[in-house]
Amino acid sequence: MNLAIMKTKAEQALVESFQTVAGSLPGGSDVQRVRREAAERFEVLGLPHRRIEEWKYTDLRQILKDVLPPRVNDATELTIPDVIVALGPLGSLDAHRIVFVNGAYRAKLSTPGSLDGLEFSPLATQLADGESHTVKLTRTTGPADEDATLALNTAFMSDGAVLSIRPGAELSKPVVVVHVRAGREPHAATMRHVIEVGAGARATIVEAFVSLPGVVDEGQINTASEVVVHEQSRVTHVKCAVDQGDVAHLSNWIVRIGREADYRGFQQTQGLALARNQIFVAFDGEDAKLDLSGAVLGRGTNHIDTTLFVDHTHPGCESRELFKYILDDNARGIFQGKIMVKRAAQQTDGKQMAQALMLSPDTEFDSKPELEIFADDVACGHGSTVAEIDEDLLFYCASRGIPEAQARALLTEAFIAEAIEMVRDEPVAQALTDWARSWLNAA
Amino acid sequence: MLEIKNLHAKIVEEDKPILKGVNLTVPTGEVHAIMGPNGSGKSTLAYVLAGRSDYEVTEGDILWNGKSILEMTPDERAAEGVFLAFQYPMEIPGVAGLTFLRTALNSIRRKRGEAELTTPEFMKLVREKGSQLHIDIEMLKRPVNVGFSGGEKKRSEILQMALLEPTLCVLDETDSGLDIDALGVVSDGVNALRSPDRAMLVITHYQRLLNHIVPDRVHVLANGVIQRSGDKELALELERSGYAEYRAA
Repeated sequence: MNLAIMKTKAEQALVESFQTVAGSLPGGSDVQRVRREAAERFEVLGLPHRRIEEWKYTDLRQILKDVLPPRVNDATELTIPDVIVALGPLGSLDAHRIVFVNGAYRAKLSTPGSLDGLEFSPLATQLADGESHTVKLTRTTGPADEDATLALNTAFMSDGAVLSIRPGAELSKPVVVVHVRAGREPHAATMRHVIEVGAGARATIVEAFVSLPGVVDEGQINTASEVVVHEQSRVTHVKCAVDQGDVAHLSNWIVRIGREADYRGFQQTQGLALARNQIFVAFDGEDAKLDLSGAVLGRGTNHIDTTLFVDHTHPGCESRELFKYILDDNARGIFQGKIMVKRAAQQTDGKQMAQALMLSPDTEFDSKPELEIFADDVACGHGSTVAEIDEDLLFYCASRGIPEAQARALLTEAFIAEAIEMVRDEPVAQALTDWARSWLNAA
Repeated sequence: MLEIKNLHAKIVEEDKPILKGVNLTVPTGEVHAIMGPNGSGKSTLAYVLAGRSDYEVTEGDILWNGKSILEMTPDERAAEGVFLAFQYPMEIPGVAGLTFLRTALNSIRRKRGEAELTTPEFMKLVREKGSQLHIDIEMLKRPVNVGFSGGEKKRSEILQMALLEPTLCVLDETDSGLDIDALGVVSDGVNALRSPDRAMLVITHYQRLLNHIVPDRVHVLANGVIQRSGDKELALELERSGYAEYRAA
């Protein structure tokens, strides 16, 4: 096989821009080596394209034509009210708030609240201090390792939240880690979060990717979260990406779940021109519970992809996936859910469902569930549905006096609500519902 | 007053006529029953009255209080006071019963030029109407009809009717799927809504329902036309003799 395929303009630009900015990215020699290795890995891998099975429906080499300059040490002026506006319905949430603007931490806009069993420090500081623990965590292994988007993240990561929740701690309010896109210069931002939840702790962590009104149309975000959930902890982890314009959002979650831990992940993606949301989950112990769900709202030519890889290696674990897509105009939704059940993972209980509601005849939904089971005593199932709004239900609503447009909105919201319901934190779920509603009403 | 004049209807995209010239008048304040064998067009008549778009009226007219409703959308008809209690009430996953009721009630009030109800006003009304039908608020916090038993679904239909206060009630096989006790509760709910300002059309296969909801008139619909009309005794006669003589028609 000839590895020396011709590089695309974007691939070439990424390699060159790494050489340009590498010296100004945070971290000592250890970190610089990790970055360089990642950049070299990317040079070999290139941008993923349709001939790689996992990227069949999202041909980044084709889609990503131009690379924006990476932003380092951004200093765009923002106020707390700006952040609250950008956060939309999440702005009024009572939460510990950790704010990043264009890829850089802003202490003045943040209220991390260390009293609550929560420890926070910005990744840039940790990398500069050579915190060996953090450096180790940013060097992933496993199926995500060969991923080009993650390699780019490791090479370019400029900042992020390093969060640690002390064992047994119970956070009194959610932690909201906000990334705000702001300013008039198109740029690329690369965020890396490292989240560790101690044994028996309880926490809700929300990552929000939002933009300030009037922000430049084009933007590129590459974000990765490494999450380690220790035994018997109970975690709700949410990512909400809401933007408009020509924004590309590449995201990776790499999650490890400890024995008897209960981890719920939820992702809401709305209005992004391009999103690739990858979630890699592995189990570190027996009898753990995983619940992944998501709400995708796309219109125009939005292209929104969710790709999961869940690796069952221990007995008695449970995994649930429910992803709902609302697609309008020419939007395209992709769901790929791969569940691997290794031989040792007896009594695995896995159920997966992906559903799309198509509001226009020109949308496309590609759904690919994959189950690979090597254990013999398991209960696993998957399903996928694609539908339009049920005419019978519209008639039922209309016969009760509800006009068609309102009935459509009601039924569409109900469809997505079933996914948002999986978020255990009620105020967070309400904010996500409000956000989805504002998208629906903007039709 | 409901006036159905020479009504012909068929399913859209099909040629076969189902209603072939129905003539029927229901004065306000009266309850009329429509009986008839399977496939006689009873449910079609109910759907055509409510304005379901799968059906096409090819001839004739429907006047409600002197005004033709044929060109009205289903929600416009609802605002004019038309209500259809479904034979098979639909499940709406993800929409809480209370949200649905409130959305419906306020839509109708808006169209009638009335103020929307505040939350306390609405809740008071739901509690009051619900208790008559043995429906508590907890049941209405669940998605509309999802996981409800047959009896619960029918009671929920009658609760909707009680809240929306229509002036023309069409009940399509409201007795189907009900046990004796549930039939009593549902019938009491319907009887409570009998009023000099309201017309009701009760569609049923069986005479049993008419022991509970005693009609002023009974009509036999068969082969797409009203074959015979009479008082409540006609229902008893049909119970004895069946529909055999009408099937031939």
